[in-house]
Formats: sequence, structure tokens, C-alpha cells
Amino acid sequence: MMDHMLLAEILDEALKKGGNFAEIYIEEKVSTSVYCEDDRIEKINSGRERGAGIRVLAKGRTSYVYTNDLSREGLLKAARVAGHAARSQQAGTHGPISLQSKPGPEPVRYLRLPENVLFDEKIEHVLAANRAARELGTDIKQVTVAVGDNHKSVLIANSDGEIVEDDRVRVRFVVSAVAERNGVIQTGYESAGGVAGWELLDQISPVDMARRAGELAIKMLDARPAPVGRMPVVMSSEAGGTMVHEACGHGLEADLVQKGLSVYRNKLGQQVAASIVSVIDDATIPGKFGSLRFDDEGTPGQRTVLIDKGHLVGYLYDRLTAAKDQVKSTGNGRRESYQHKPIPRMTNTFIAPGEDDPEEIIRSTSRGLLVKKMGGGQVNTTNGDFVFEVQEGYLIENGKIGAAVRGATLTGNGPEVLASIDRVGRDLGYAIGTCGKDGQGVPVADAQPTIRIKELTVGGTSHEGHPALYRIRRK
Amino acid sequence: MQERLTGIGEALLDKAHRLGVDAEVFLLHNRELMIEVVEGQVDTLKEAEEMGLGLRVIKGNRLGFAFTSDLSPKALEEVWDAAVSICSYTASDHYLSLPSGPVKYPSLIVYDPVIAHTSIEEKIELARQAERASRQHDSRITVIERAGYEDSEFHSLILNTRGICAYAQGNYCGTYVFAVAEEDEDAQTGFSISIKQKLADLDPLAVGQEAAHNAVRSLHARRAPSGRIPCIMEPYVVTRFLGIIAQMVDAEAVQKGKSLFKGRIGQKVGAECISLTDDGTYPGGVSSFPFDSEGVPCQRTELIRDGHLVGYLYDTYTANRDHTRSTGNGQRSSFRGLPSVGSTNFMIEPGTRSLYQLMDDIPYGFYITEVMGMHTANPISGEFSVGAAGLLIEKGQLTKPVRGVTIAGNIMQLLEQVEAVGNDMRFFGGRGAPSLRIRYLSLSGE
Repeated sequence: MMDHMLLAEILDEALKKGGNFAEIYIEEKVSTSVYCEDDRIEKINSGRERGAGIRVLAKGRTSYVYTNDLSREGLLKAARVAGHAARSQQAGTHGPISLQSKPGPEPVRYLRLPENVLFDEKIEHVLAANRAARELGTDIKQVTVAVGDNHKSVLIANSDGEIVEDDRVRVRFVVSAVAERNGVIQTGYESAGGVAGWELLDQISPVDMARRAGELAIKMLDARPAPVGRMPVVMSSEAGGTMVHEACGHGLEADLVQKGLSVYRNKLGQQVAASIVSVIDDATIPGKFGSLRFDDEGTPGQRTVLIDKGHLVGYLYDRLTAAKDQVKSTGNGRRESYQHKPIPRMTNTFIAPGEDDPEEIIRSTSRGLLVKKMGGGQVNTTNGDFVFEVQEGYLIENGKIGAAVRGATLTGNGPEVLASIDRVGRDLGYAIGTCGKDGQGVPVADAQPTIRIKELTVGGTSHEGHPALYRIRRK
Repeated sequence: MQERLTGIGEALLDKAHRLGVDAEVFLLHNRELMIEVVEGQVDTLKEAEEMGLGLRVIKGNRLGFAFTSDLSPKALEEVWDAAVSICSYTASDHYLSLPSGPVKYPSLIVYDPVIAHTSIEEKIELARQAERASRQHDSRITVIERAGYEDSEFHSLILNTRGICAYAQGNYCGTYVFAVAEEDEDAQTGFSISIKQKLADLDPLAVGQEAAHNAVRSLHARRAPSGRIPCIMEPYVVTRFLGIIAQMVDAEAVQKGKSLFKGRIGQKVGAECISLTDDGTYPGGVSSFPFDSEGVPCQRTELIRDGHLVGYLYDTYTANRDHTRSTGNGQRSSFRGLPSVGSTNFMIEPGTRSLYQLMDDIPYGFYITEVMGMHTANPISGEFSVGAAGLLIEKGQLTKPVRGVTIAGNIMQLLEQVEAVGNDMRFFGGRGAPSLRIRYLSLSGE
């Protein structure tokens, strides 16, 4: 992608004013998207982007400069600006930089690069999904199908002499259906994606996704308003892992911990969850949406145990936060693009499967809420309060799945909820998403087995009609 | 800058004229500065510069689009080929068109030379002042998560084969503080942000103090009992809901059956005290600009007048479909995408009552200062169920802090349930609102 001599010259320029560490991240990205709505191919977008970000660290300070001028002059200018912003009293005294390729996991083998797949083929999948949702009946009023793919080639070189080159390809399929009857509108949504080329389509079926999204929208037309108050909640494995992502993942990111902004600070080695709960972040699972070979600082991706049988054993580190705690980076330094500095982020995060039979967990719950599909969520890491959306929920009555309910957000407190998980199933289900932090979105996957939480606050609107649910408020 | 951008744009338009297709070139040059300080020291300084081009082509009533950040002749050749070839895959649609020119644009002040001429050192000092003010406001402020200053300067050029030629430069600046208050093992956050079109209007001391105040007032918050109770929403919370409402007055959502406002023009959709306006020419507004991202002049558009729905927001395409004129709301967030309907300065008009008067006769209620998970609210069904924090209202006074509860309902009911509108109008970026008093809202807690 670029000459090693020139890269060394740029890093050298960046350190001339006394910085301790310099890094250059160069990205070339080609992307396309196909978007179908109103029963037709409405938009197709094709883009090409290149840019570089130069980071200089000096005594805990970070300066970051990005540009899409990748000429020698453009990069040297960016390096000068970054070096100047991080200047210190002593001029730079570092030795010559000689770049050596860093060993790491095998490169991912992409079978069909998205830029080599014709639009005709992409459109065929999109239209088939659109048809499948519309064939469900006249309640379906609108269907949106989108497929997006991108191929990023990145190069990361730093003043420690490391250089890494990597190709990242992601494909993502999204279907959203709108159903309407008698003035009530409901929606259903499905998404799937991974680190893979177009061979991903051998594993996922856009037509099945479209049917599920459409069926959910129709089913929710008849759903009752969700109840209000605190009650037991069973979360099915197919619900995905938004809960674990919000309830503990963010609070274990080392930058938030070090700034004193996490309920999990000063808790290393302590019990922070029920002893049947283990939480892991694993970038090495092949093909998942959050998987990575190297993070965006050139550290190989790895499997990091965060909570082991209820005990907090680790945090998620990037280079800067790892140096502060005098540990090694866990390979979680990620950035949205060349326009952003890397910060600690999750990859594929999950609660490890346990031993319980998922169906038995429901059978043994006399009253409560079953969550079959989660939507988005948010957390306040300082106090641990989090919320997540229920897209598909059912009442549980006498161990049986009852009526569908709609319009519920669940809210709880991270450490409280992790401590009150009393059943963990032996299954595991994934969901994908884009995780936002400090204005940067990165692709992640989350997963969990079927679990039961003794009590969570269900935020529906129905204050009457479910007296049975109120009676559960014993404690 | 204008000449450089024009040169690139005109070369592509020449090509379009020769081939007899409609084309539009959108060129953006953007510079950003971000400064974050921690304990008086610069923690992160970011300087950015980007330039890119989005090319929209309409060929035989079919739409093609491609973008590039590489403006070399070879890359421009490729972007042209990509956009034209995409036209053979998209659906034919006779409502597609580009706006025609020349057009006279409103003369607005959207560029503050003071921002450009102020040194980085002085800008760092603004962030430091905000951080200091926050720490000094209360001894319980133990951590400043972040305190910062940001500004952005952009040059925008739009040229099309129908005679549009629009060029302007704009800038804005802002400062923010996220503070943490701690007492007896409890830690709570508070934040404040101010974005202004003029540097002289930034008040870092007020931002720092407000963040500290917001953190301290949340200490020792607990869950509240469930119930249907009267609520007051702070302006910030109302602006979060405006994000959902903006999607409901979007003509594209209406035309596609994705808005509860469909077919409701002229009807009552909210309480009479509610008036909603979008104004791309609002003096001092962060989103004010002479033209939208298609080169159509920005304007003031009434959407809800005294509780009645009177209009939608249009770009050129959706206006064609409804046989009306664009309201100058064809927006794009960067050169990387097609324009689509978006709001500018989007606001609920203020009323006459002070916050004290709004609260005075509430025996028991909830004063909402923060919502969580607003992105999960559904603009299509109008349903929302979001986490909330704030303070209890008891006998007309703010009393105990509350957190860990949810509020839920439907946007349509919420608009109906507004009883009174405050006089404390405030902008957060491009959205402005006063405090609202809501008759009842469903709260789920203990």
C-alpha cells in the first residue's frame, strides 16, 4: 500500500517535537449499498474513500490529525501538525524507526469480494426478500430491504517499528416491515451480517429474514400493551445480547474505568455477578460481525474473559489504557475510520452458556415476561443504569408462553441484574449491531444463552388488566 | 477554495451536458478542531480536514449516485462511470428531477470570522474555563469526564445541469462538560453543551456550572412508584422527542405510509398550545444556511399551528410526488450520501409561563431531566418506552431525585396531553424547545 521508507519518514516527522509515540493509520475503503423501498430499487450508492489518521502521544496527551490527502507532502504536513500539537520541552530524541511486519493470526480468506459481485445479483436477493415480506398479506404496508457491503484495506505503522496490513470485508443485510390495520402501525426488523464476502449469503437467507420481520410486524398488531412494574424476565437466547452489552460490557472498557466512570471500577477480583455467570469478549470467532484479526492499533484480536463464574477478572484495553495500568492491550483498540482515534471497544461479547434446559427455564417461571427479541439499548456507566428495547415479548403465565405484548423497554442496574440472574441455559444466540461511543460507531456482535433475571422493571403502559403481575412484587 | 471546487464540479457537468443527462455535483470541504482537556491539561487535540464529492445522475428517469474523497482525474472518471452505470439498475421514476436555477438565496450571516482568527491556545483556554467552572461549582464534583471545545468550518458547492450554482461557507463552535458528582458511595453524571454560530456567544462558565448542577441534583436518586402522573419535561428532553417528531413530518415517511401524520393535514394532532416550526433562516441558528443540499433556498416552514397539522417538510423529489414545492429541506450529512428530507432549526414555539408557574399547582409529579434509549423509540408507530431520570415534584416543588424508571406512551397521545408550554425556549444544536407540562405520562418504577 505504501513504501516503508516513507512511512518511517512520516513517523519520524511526527516525533520531532518530542512526542513519545507516533502512529499512522491509512484506510482505503470501497463500499456499495442497495436499498429497496416502495416495492422498487430506490437507491444504489457506490463510494470510494481514502484517508490517513496520524496520532502522537506525549505524556498522556493525544494529538490526532486526519486528512484525505495521501500524497507525501499531505502526509508530512499532517505529521507536522500532529507533532506540533503534542510538542514538549525536549526535542525528540528517539532513534531511527525501522518497520517490521508484525506476526499475527492468518489473514481471513474472503471467497467473493463484494466489489466483484455484480449489482444484478445483489438486487436479486434484495427483491426476493421484498417479495417474501409482501406476500404475507395486505396488512404489510411497507417493506424496506437494504444490503450494504464494504471492503477496507488498512495499514497501521507505529514508532515502535510495528507495521500491520489487513483486509476487512463486511456484508450486512437489513429488512424492516411495516404492518398497519385500523390505524395501528407496527414494525418488525431483522438484520444479519458478518466479517465475510458475499459467501455470507450461503449462511443467511434474506427471504427467511424478510418473513420473520413481516410476521413479527403483523403479530404485534394484535399484541397487548406491555405491563408496568417489576417482575421476573426470561430472555431467550434468540433475543441476542443487547443486555450483556449494556449491563456490563461498556462498564468494563478501561478508559471509562480509569476515568472513574464505571460502577465496575476498583472491583477486580470481586464478585460482581451470580456465580453461574461468565462474560467473555472474543474477537477470534471466525466470521462474526465484531470479529477482527488485528484491532485498529495493530494488536492481534483475542479472547478475553471479563467475568469468570461471577468474579471480575479483566477489562477491555487499548494501547493507551493498557500502558496506564501496566498491562498488555487486549486488542480492543478500535475506531470507526481514519477520522477517529482508537478507544477501547467491545468485539463479540457474550454470556457463556450454562447447563439449564432453555424450555425448562420458561416452564419453571410461574409469572413474568419472556423476551424473544431485543432491540437497541443504552447505559449510564457511572451508575450502571441501563435500558434496552423489547421488540418481541410475551407474558409468561404458569410456566406457559401467553399473549404477545408490545411497547416495552426494560430498565435495570448492571451489577444488580448480573447478581440476580438465577438460571443460565445451555444454548447461545447472537445478534449484530453498530455500537456507538464518543461519536464513533463500530460493528459488534453480542450473544447470550436463555437466562432468567429475578426482577427487572418493565416499562409498558398498561396499568390495569394484569393484576397477577403486580402480585409478583414480593421480595 | 471556491475556484478549486468550481473547477472540479464544472468538469463533471461538461461531461453531463455532452451526454445529455441531468447531473448534480455536491462538493464539500470541511475542517474540524476538537480539544478535550482533563485537569487543565490538553488530553486530546484533533485537527481534521476532508474534501469529497457526491455525484447524482438522472438518466432516463433513473437515479444513480456515487461518491469519492479522491479528487484525482482518474477517480473522477471512476465516480462518473459508477453513477451512470447505477442508473441502469434503479427503478424508473418520473418524479425524479433536479431543482432549476438560477435562484436568489436569502442573505444570512452563517460565517463568524472570529472563530477562524482565534488561536488554538485561546480555544484551549475556553475548554479549561468550562472545566474549572464545573469543579469550582460544588465540592462534590470529583471527576470531569470530559470538557471540550469544538469548531467546524465548511465550504459547500452545489452545481447542476439545470442552472443551480450555490456556494457558501459556514462555521460554528461549541463547548461541553460531562461532570461526575460523588457523595457517600453514590456517583452521578451531569452534562451541559452549548453550540453557537458566533464564538462571542459561547459562555464556558455557564456550561461548566450547569453540568455540575445537573450532576449534583441527581445524587442519591432512587426509583419512584409506578403510576400515571403529571410530568414536566426539561427543554433538553423535549428536543430529544423532537428528533422523533421530525421523522413524522418528513414527507418521505408520509408518502411511504411510515408516519402517523399521513392524511392529517388540517386536522388537530396535538394540544392547542403546540406550534412547531422548521426555520433554515433562523437568525443565529446552528442549522441556518442560505440553501439546502440540493441548492434550494432555505425557508421558514410552519408544521403544526395551534395544535393543527399544517405542513410537511419536503425535498425536491417528495415535493414533485405531492405536486408542491420543496421547502428547502433536502439535507445530507456529508458528501457520502444522497440528499433526503431533513430538518434545519426545528422548534416548538415558546409559551408565556415560567417553569415555576408550570409546576406550581402539581401536587405530585415527575420532572424529567434525562431520557435513555431514545433511539429505540419508534417514529413509525409513534410508540416510545424510554429510561428516564429527574426529580419528583411534590406540592409544586422539586424534591427527591429519581432514576431507573421508564416513561412510555405514544407520541400522538403525548402531543394531545401537553397542558402548557414554558417560556424557557432553548436550543440544543438544531433543535429548540421550551419546557412542556404533560397532563399524564405512564411511569414504571417500583
